[in-house]
Amino acid sequence: MAQTGVESAAAGHGAEPRGKRTEDGQATYLVAIAEALWEEMERDERVFLLGEDIGVYGGAFKVTEGFIERFGPERVMDTPIAEETIVGLALGAAMEGFRPVAEFQYADFMSSGFDEITTALARYHYRSGVPIPVVLRAPSGGGVRASSFHSFNPEPWFAHTPGLKVICPAFPSDAKGLLKSAIRDDNPCVFLEHKWIYRRIKEPVSEDPDFLVPIGIAKIQREGSDVTIVTYGMMVHQALEAAEDLEQKGISAEVVDLRTITPLDKDTILSSVAKTSRALVLYESHRFLGVGAEVGAMIAEEGFEHLDAPVVRLAPPNVPVPFSPVLEDAYLPQVADIEAAVEKLAAW
Amino acid sequence: MVTSTPERARTPGADWRVGLSDDQLKELLYLLKLCRYFDERMEALYRQGRLPGAIYSGRGQEGTHVGVAYALRPEDSLFPTHRDLSAQLTKGLDLKRVMAQYWGRIDGYTRGRDGNSHVGDWFGHRTWTVMSHLPIAYPVACGAALAYKRRGEARVAMGICGDGATSNGRWHEALNVSAIHQLPVVWVVNNNQYAYSTPNPLEFRVPTIAERAAAYGMPGVRVDAQDVLEVYRVAREAVERAREGGGPTLIECVSLRWRGHAGHDPAKYVPKELLERYMREKDPVARFASLLIERGVVDEEEVKRVQERVENEFDEGYRFAQASPFPVPEDVTKGLFTDDGYWASEPSREGGTG
Ligand SMILES: Cc1ncc(C[n+]2csc(CCOP(=O)(O)OP(=O)(O)O)c2C)c(N)n1
Repeated sequence: MAQTGVESAAAGHGAEPRGKRTEDGQATYLVAIAEALWEEMERDERVFLLGEDIGVYGGAFKVTEGFIERFGPERVMDTPIAEETIVGLALGAAMEGFRPVAEFQYADFMSSGFDEITTALARYHYRSGVPIPVVLRAPSGGGVRASSFHSFNPEPWFAHTPGLKVICPAFPSDAKGLLKSAIRDDNPCVFLEHKWIYRRIKEPVSEDPDFLVPIGIAKIQREGSDVTIVTYGMMVHQALEAAEDLEQKGISAEVVDLRTITPLDKDTILSSVAKTSRALVLYESHRFLGVGAEVGAMIAEEGFEHLDAPVVRLAPPNVPVPFSPVLEDAYLPQVADIEAAVEKLAAW
Repeated sequence: MVTSTPERARTPGADWRVGLSDDQLKELLYLLKLCRYFDERMEALYRQGRLPGAIYSGRGQEGTHVGVAYALRPEDSLFPTHRDLSAQLTKGLDLKRVMAQYWGRIDGYTRGRDGNSHVGDWFGHRTWTVMSHLPIAYPVACGAALAYKRRGEARVAMGICGDGATSNGRWHEALNVSAIHQLPVVWVVNNNQYAYSTPNPLEFRVPTIAERAAAYGMPGVRVDAQDVLEVYRVAREAVERAREGGGPTLIECVSLRWRGHAGHDPAKYVPKELLERYMREKDPVARFASLLIERGVVDEEEVKRVQERVENEFDEGYRFAQASPFPVPEDVTKGLFTDDGYWASEPSREGGTG
């Protein structure tokens, strides 16, 4: 992961304008997310946005740039730095029939709203039957030289909390389609965007206002026959790069992009493993009790008869995300690490 | 900050009945007695080992709970805590279903998924299903109030919590946000002088909670909760101000927690003289009954009939709860999300009562 010019924008400091689709209809992940929000706000007046600096400023990453001009300050609501209350506002308004989408400035600050997320939002429906159509959007993840407090991957916390759907898209189309599905869902969804992907990855994205990607379905991003790499988020892109290189070495890797962590699409994972007999679980949250720990255990438990090799995990060590590029690269799984792990698995 | 005049009800020349009709005054008497009797009987059952789970007695605080909740309309919402069951009963919750909840039965409001006063009825009576974490519903009350304001509805959200909960960060967040956006909320603090075993002086430095209101830019009122009519009057004023777009108010209702924090706690840390004085001189239920007799609204006979009525209702609720089936174990994973339709359909009643 080389340092490039987009890093400072990705970290949120001095962010440039969000940008537009290219002439041939390609959209960045950032643009795709903005389109999803815009379309759903046009479609349903119950949808509104709230968060820190999302109004006139357009949000730390410019996702909501231009929204306040179109939808006004009531539907693009700037809040004080009060994360518990941002979540509470969303929950209470949802109970009264709105469909709020709250933006956390960074996923790191979800810990400042933790109780309202994991206790109030997550546990309310099971005990009361009240639908809770709330989306919490948050820029997550590392690889952008943003250090400990702007690089976090909180998905294991929320995936471990019954009552939340956790979505981690890797591509612009999936980001758009899944965010629209989340906004239309009657349950609380934690939508974790990845900062490294925001401005880097571009692709043609549907302009159909009813384009949806269903929550809870994984996608095979690259077919292969020797080893399955189960991953999500930024690591999908590292896995695809590794798979390309491995092809040259005669190893065929299949890349399964989870897209949503909960509900977990076990069927896609298990049928891929049934085909390849080998599984690498690659993830960006901490290795210990991270998302891959559950996925790995699930494969071992439910797919044992398919396996020709032990399930292997590749993930960051159990330390906070460090700043120095040398340290951050040592922390995050690199393409070379993925290749080495797959080669080892393939040799079994 | 305003300190309300206590004893308005006994002040010559004052509108002692604060605009309430005889029927409304009698309804208040019924509610006070119902809440008191429920509290006493449930504690007795708990002590006999006949009630599973926990109890959080609100005894001595009925003036607060009945007074503030009586100021709400059916379409207004209430966000209470574990201590505030009496406020929920005042808002209209069905005693039978509340009791089914205590015994973990399918007819409880949470279908057996929660117990004790962790109850609520959002679709029926607009009350929040109580959660333990304090004061977790304060920020949520802001959200409901935001919805009313956005839609231009003349509705109000009321949040209640204890004195102890005011030390938690989100209490401050919620008050601040409600003031910034002039949300139609009434913030009630049931200051029963103790947070579990911790007395007021170890919870905050300022002499009163009500004076904190100034720091957020909203009115604050402190009221002596031995007098349900005064509590009601203060709450009604705040509710109507919020309804008319005048923004939030903080109301501190001062009483004493007569019982321990929960059923297991003998509360030896509460000075005996203080407790005895409150029970003797500041009992909101007894005081209101004698006021109504004094003013000729009811006589002793009628007070007795009210008492019989609440006792019958309790017995009926008890029988209903015991006859209500348990949930079936197969349903334990259902209704986590709306997707499986569990909450939109009638649950199984095959769980038996044994
Ligand atoms: C955030 C949080 N911490 C601790 C507890 C445990 N607890 C339950 S009630 C209570 C005391 C609450 O005191 P107060 O707010 O004065 O309300 P009261 O019980 O007196 O009505 C405590 C510490 C809790 N429910 N929530």
